[in-house]
Order: sequence, then C-alpha cells, then structure tokens
Amino acid sequence: MAEITLEGLRFRYPDNPMDTLEALDLRIASGEAHALLGGSGAGKTTLLNLLSGLQTPTSGCIRFDGRDVTALAPRQRKVAQVFQFPVLYESLSVAAMLAVPLRNHGWSRRDAARRAAEIAARLDLAPLLNARSGDLSLYQKQLVAIGRALVRPDISLVLLDEPLTAVAPAIKWQLRRVLKTAQAELGATMIYVTHDQTEALTFAERISVLHAGRVLQTADPETLYEAPSHEQVAHFIGSPGMNLVPGEITAGRLWLAGHPLGGAPGLTDGACTIGFRPEWARVSAAPAVSPAAAGTSIGGVPVTVDAVRVLGTRLQQPEGLVGIRVGTTHVYTRQPIDVAPGCPGMLHVRPERLLVFRDGARVA
Amino acid sequence: MRTERGHWLLWAYCLYLLAPLYWLLSLALRRNQDIVTRLQVLPSPPTLANFKEIFSDPVWYSAFGNSLSYVLLNTLISVAVALPAAYAFSRYRFLGDRHLFFWLLTNRMAPPAVFLLPFFQLYSALGLFDTPLAVALAHCLFTVPLAVWILEGFMSGVPRELDETARIDGHSLPYFFLRLFLPNLRAGIGVTLFFCFMFSWVELLLARTLTGSASKPIVVVMTRTVSASGIDWGVLAAAGVLTIVPGIAVVWFVRRHLARGFALGRV
Amino acid sequence: MSGRRYDNRAWLGVLPVLLIVAFSAVIPLMTVVNYSVQDIFDMSTRVFVGFDWYRDTLRDPRFIDALLRQIGFSLLVLSVELPLGILVARSLPRASPRTGLLLVLIAIPLLVPWNVVGTIWQLFARPDIGALGAAVNALGIPFNYTAEPLHAWIVLLMMDVWHWTSLVALLAYSGLASIQNLYYQAAELDGAGRWQTFRLVELPRLKAVLMIAVLLRLMDSFMIYTEPFVLTGGGPGDSTTFLSQHLTTMAVGQFDLGPAAAFSVLYFLVILLLCWLFYTAVMRDRDGADVDAN
Repeated sequence: MAEITLEGLRFRYPDNPMDTLEALDLRIASGEAHALLGGSGAGKTTLLNLLSGLQTPTSGCIRFDGRDVTALAPRQRKVAQVFQFPVLYESLSVAAMLAVPLRNHGWSRRDAARRAAEIAARLDLAPLLNARSGDLSLYQKQLVAIGRALVRPDISLVLLDEPLTAVAPAIKWQLRRVLKTAQAELGATMIYVTHDQTEALTFAERISVLHAGRVLQTADPETLYEAPSHEQVAHFIGSPGMNLVPGEITAGRLWLAGHPLGGAPGLTDGACTIGFRPEWARVSAAPAVSPAAAGTSIGGVPVTVDAVRVLGTRLQQPEGLVGIRVGTTHVYTRQPIDVAPGCPGMLHVRPERLLVFRDGARVA
Repeated sequence: MRTERGHWLLWAYCLYLLAPLYWLLSLALRRNQDIVTRLQVLPSPPTLANFKEIFSDPVWYSAFGNSLSYVLLNTLISVAVALPAAYAFSRYRFLGDRHLFFWLLTNRMAPPAVFLLPFFQLYSALGLFDTPLAVALAHCLFTVPLAVWILEGFMSGVPRELDETARIDGHSLPYFFLRLFLPNLRAGIGVTLFFCFMFSWVELLLARTLTGSASKPIVVVMTRTVSASGIDWGVLAAAGVLTIVPGIAVVWFVRRHLARGFALGRV
Repeated sequence: MSGRRYDNRAWLGVLPVLLIVAFSAVIPLMTVVNYSVQDIFDMSTRVFVGFDWYRDTLRDPRFIDALLRQIGFSLLVLSVELPLGILVARSLPRASPRTGLLLVLIAIPLLVPWNVVGTIWQLFARPDIGALGAAVNALGIPFNYTAEPLHAWIVLLMMDVWHWTSLVALLAYSGLASIQNLYYQAAELDGAGRWQTFRLVELPRLKAVLMIAVLLRLMDSFMIYTEPFVLTGGGPGDSTTFLSQHLTTMAVGQFDLGPAAAFSVLYFLVILLLCWLFYTAVMRDRDGADVDAN
C-alpha cells in the first residue's frame, strides 16, 4: 500500500473555460481510509479518473510513495476500483473472476487460486467460489467486485466509487462493515467517493469535502463537524446542517438581528455569517423581554417558533427539532420540546460554540 | 479509449464498400463505347446520356411504380398482421406458442426457389398473376415472420406495467393498443418497415416469376433491357445507380434507430 | 419470456399472421410435397411414384455436388464475415458525430437489390471493363473469373463479403453499444489485454446477437441465388452452381416437376434442421438470461 500525494492537481476539459478541478493538494497516508465527499458536479468522478489514470491532469502531479505516476497508464499504477454497480466478468465463476487480476500480473495458477480463496474467505464469499458471477445477488456481486479490488497484495490504492449505491438500503450497513473490516485487516489505502455524509463519516478516518472543483476542507469526521472551515462544509455536514444566519460585528461583539450573541475579539467590524449547530442552541418559552430592556447584555435573541418535530424522548420528555425564525432566516435547534409553534421565545446559543464566517471561510 | 484501435481496418472496410459503388457510378457517367475501349478512373468527360436514356423510356417509370407499389403493399400488410401477433407472443403464454413462433421463423428460412412453382400456379389459379398484390403476398412469407420477430423484441422492452395500468383504468384492449401502446413502439415499427423494405425491394426471384408484362418491377426491367440490346454497360450501370437511391434514402430516415434496430430490440 | 399470463385468447392476435402465412406457405408447401411423390407428364397425366424421386435425388451426383459446394460456400462466407463483422463493429466509434454516417454507409449494401449486387461486382471484376479485374491483370497476374473456377469463387466470396458483412457488423455493433464503458475501465485496471477484454467483456454480451447473425447468414447463404446467377450464371462449368440455382434450372428450365419437388423438400429439410439446432440454442440462451434478470 502506498502513500498518495497530489500536488497542484488541475484538470480542465479542452472545450471548457472553467476548471473541472482546481489546483488540488492532498496527502493520504498509507493504509488510510479516506473519503471524498461532495454533491454532483463537485469533481469527484474526475478526481477518481485522474487517480486511476483514465484521465490525465492538465497540470500538477500524482505521487504514489513519492514516485511520480502522473504519466503512467492505469494498468501500470497498481490501482483497483469498485464501481457504483457490480462490474464483473459475468461468465466466469467467482474463483476465476478473483484470479483474473493475479493471473494478469504473473501469478501461477496455484498461487492465484490460493490467494483468491483467501480473499473470498475474508469477504464471506467462500461458499460461492464455484458459482457463476452472473448468477449472484446484487449484494454478492458487489462483494465479489470488492474482492477483485483487494485481491492483489501489491496494489497501491483502492478506489471506491459510491460502492453502496446499487445495494438495497437494508444491507448497506452490512456491506460497509465487511468493507471496513477488510480495509483494516489488509491495511489498504482506500479512497471512498460518495455524496452521502453518513457513509463518509462512518467509513473514513479523514474526509475531503469537494465543492465546485475545490477541496474545501480535509479533516477527521469530528473536526469537520465541530469546526468546519467553510460555510459549504458546515451546511453540507450534519442533518440538518449547521444554522447559518447573517450577523454583524461591532466593537468586538457579535450581533444577531440587533441582539448581542457573544464576543468576537480580534475581528474587524462589518457583516459576517454566524454559524451554530442545532444542538448548540436552545429556545426557551420565557416571556419576551423587550429589546430595549435586553440592552447590551447577552440575554438571548427574541424569536418566533415556527414548527416542532419530535424525534424521540429523553427522561420522558419529548425531544426533537424546533424550527424558529430569526428576522427572515430560519434556523433549527435540537432540544427538549417545551415550546409550541406560534409562541414567541428566546434563543440562546452557547457562546463558546459560535462560529463566524466571512466570504464563505471561517474566521473564528 | 477503445475507439482508436483498428481505425485502419474501418477505413479499409469503407474503401472496400465504396470502391465497387464508385466504379458503378463512374461507368454510369460514361458512354458505352468509351467503357469498352479504355479504362478510366475518372469519367472524362462525364455524361448524363445513360440516365437520359432511362428517363426517356416509359417502361422504366412504370417499373419503378410497380416496384414501389408491391413494396408498400408488402410492408403495410406485414406490419398490420404482425402487430397483434407480436403482442400476443410478448404478453401471453398460450397453447403451442413456442412451436408456432418456431414455425413462423422456419418460413423466413425457406428458400424462395422452393416456392417458385407452387406460387406461380397458386396465383395464376386465383387470377392474381402479374399484379403487385401477388408479389406483395409472396414476399409476406418472408417479411411477416421477420416483422413478428422484431416487433416482439421491441414490445418485450415496453414495461408490462403499462398494460396493467391501462386495464385498471378501464381502457378496452383495442383503445389501449392503438392509443397508448403503439406510440411507445415508433422506433420498433420504423425498424420493422426498414427490414420489410430491405427484403421486398431487393428480392428478384419471386418478383420475376410472379410478374408478366403488366407489372414488371424495376429489378426485372433492368435485366431485360440489358439482355435485349446486347449489353449496354453504361445504361446497366446507370440503372444500377438508380435502384440504389431508394435504399439509401430509407437508411437515411432510420439512421438514428439503426443500432437499436439491429439488436432487434433485445439487447 | 417470464411473467406472461396464460390465455388462449391470444390466439386471436396470431390468427391474421397464421392465415396469411398459411396461404403463402402451407398451400404451396403441400403442392410441393404432392408433386414430389408423383411423376408428372402434364397437368392431367400423373403417376404416383412414392419415394422414387427422393431416392434418385439423393443419388444424383449433381445434387450431391451442389450440396457440397453449398456447404463449402456457406462455411467459407461465415468464417470470413463473422470475424470481419465483429472487427468492423469493434472499430466503429461509439457516440461520435461520424458514427451515424458510418452506420448509413455500412447499411447501404443491405439495401441494394440482389441482382444489382451481382451487376456491381460483374462491372467491377470483369477483366475488360472492371477496375478490379484490370488492376489484378496489370499486376501481372492473369485473372479472369468467367473462365477460371477459382477466380469465380474468389469474386463470389468478395461479393458476398461486400454484401453481407454489414449485417454481422450492425448486429455486433448494436450488441457492443449496450456495454457500458465501466466494463472496459474495469478490464483495463485488471491488466486485461485486448483478447481477454474481448473474451470476457464483449463476447458474453455479443452471444445473443451473434447467434442471430449466424442463423441469418447461414440460412441466407444457403438460399443464395440471384447474385451468382447474375455474376457467373453458375459457371464456369458448374463450379458456382449452388442448390437454389440447380433447383431453379430443374423446375423452371427443364420443368422436371417431380424431381424438383423432391429436391425442394430435401433442401427445405436441411435448412429446417440447421434452423432448429440454432433456434433451440438461442432460446436456451434467452431463458438463461431471463433467469439472471430475476
């Protein structure tokens, strides 16, 4: 397995005035499970094709363990890939199918068969070794496809392109578990491409969030959640995403709709975007305090409750999402449901959790 | 990725296809005495005399008309009878369906030469000899099985849910078939017409046997005009060029469905 | 063909086809069978002769020769047209602006009237006025397909390849067009070579259409009549006389109705046998595919 380094990797289609992928730097450690997370059109597939060698970058370079592989053809890179739906040689048996990549790289028939059986056992495919690939269920086929990608021990990098798409939702977790276990046991460097944040957050050690051809942030799941470096990341991660409301900084204080929310030391005055996760905030049904009385103390922001959605109970108290309106912006809080729609309320946000964005990027 | 390979083969094959056609065209543009005296790659000077000769002879007009009328009759009959049959094969199981389907296909496989004499006698007895209808019906033997086969393939590609929804909505079968089902089959019907034309237009043996002087088709007139006046290579070539034109026109119309059509709707 | 309802009323839909095919196949076929067991002097004088004509036909060296030539010709054209058609289909660009134009060009020979195909090749290959014949002679190789059986066979083969490879190519192309690019990418990453890619990715998908191609080409080449009739007239000698040609000479030329009818029945049975073998293979394949889909 190899350490993967991308240096200033850029891609543009000849007839396109815009970069599909803007200068991209990324380092993925050997044996790391890495996820590329982004919506459609973010450039995920292009990056994948650059890594596998199906497309050539316009500029920049790709290194496997320090060796420049940018100019190498796919088969010379020792890259394997699992596609969105199972792509197999359906006329072959599972055993023959798993042996193909090995036989093509100089393995003897006996060694290839032994290694294929070993991988099949690891993926719970052993009983199916003699079945025709085309006769398997979708789930089993995708397992075989994963086996095919993992079978060569000399492989540098395994690419997974939304590998759970075709599998029924009920067994997605099962396939993901098998995949994760195999990854850990074999120490494979894996890049997992997906638009599904749950898949990314549960599979990967580190995640790169891609948007419009740029990597907005590369970090471990916790950092992405708690300290997104970018509005887009903040909005994309979490369900619902982070609340983002227009705010104002004056005299080292952060203001939301004319009410002080917390301190903002070291930031210049002007407009900004305030971000906070639903669980970092709380609305209380306390009687409205007149704005004037609130003065400059950090007492809370008067809001109107729009809707509530119960998601469960905790200590026999219904808990869930409360949708509120601050000025013209809608935000959510996650809290015990002790307010009713239509009621006025006071919004409090834990001041140490407040994030401040300017021009899309986080400044505090 | 894979398209770069074997380009030379494609070009060589296209050249192979075009060379005889080019030669036909070049002969058509030269006078007979020039053709037999010397070989020329480019006709110089090119002449339209051969085409003029053909267009000034009414036999050619009527022959074109005859050909077109039996080809059209044949394609209409074939598609009309094949549609309900293909629907039956694609949507229902019934007593003897497989055997029937096979039996239909065997007719496509029957050598026309086997049927020459019986056809001649049958159509003579019915008073159909020397009419476009006789040729159209004889060609049906080959085009109908093919039409059923192709249409069945295309119909199998239309989801059965469409039928079921229509039944739940209370539409009658004829209404459903004509108004809701057929519009989904436009490509299939176009391809079927293409294949029927492909057989009926190009066939000579039956067309020649079943026609006398009144409804002589173009392919026959071509052979006769030639054998009568010695061999005028120039006129022969010009006539050949003219018989290829309708074919090219038909391919051009169905070009977008060609690939799917040749999968017979199945792949 | 799974999931269809059992309903014998479907016969009503098949009825028109049945009537029209019965009219144009069953009646004539019965006539042929009827003739084949009689000696016919004229329309009113006929004698029942049982299977005499069949015995005679099977012993007739000209029938045997024509049959062997026919088998040789069919195998020869298949062995050229099938691989060539697949190669042409593989080299066709997919979804390029030129594809449509190339498909039209390739389809053209299929829509040329069969006698015109013969004429085109006659004009092209004749040593006196044909570009091909003259060119070969100019190279110092004496070439005259009207006198030399071998040359006649070569020209016939070239003509049939010209005429019908397109059918195989179009069928194969439509099969290839259904393969998603991912399958090629996966094979590339496996380090598969060209041959392996063809065998493991393309061939399994082409099986169904290639069955149809073989079926159509085998049957049609078995029925070939018009093109050699125009090109060589069955000659030189009998060297390019195939079954249909032989039959037509017997029935129309010599009016030997009984023997011609027996010949026809045998001819038809041979084709039927071949057809049945392929049909069962194709159907088994399709049913297999149905099982996969469920």
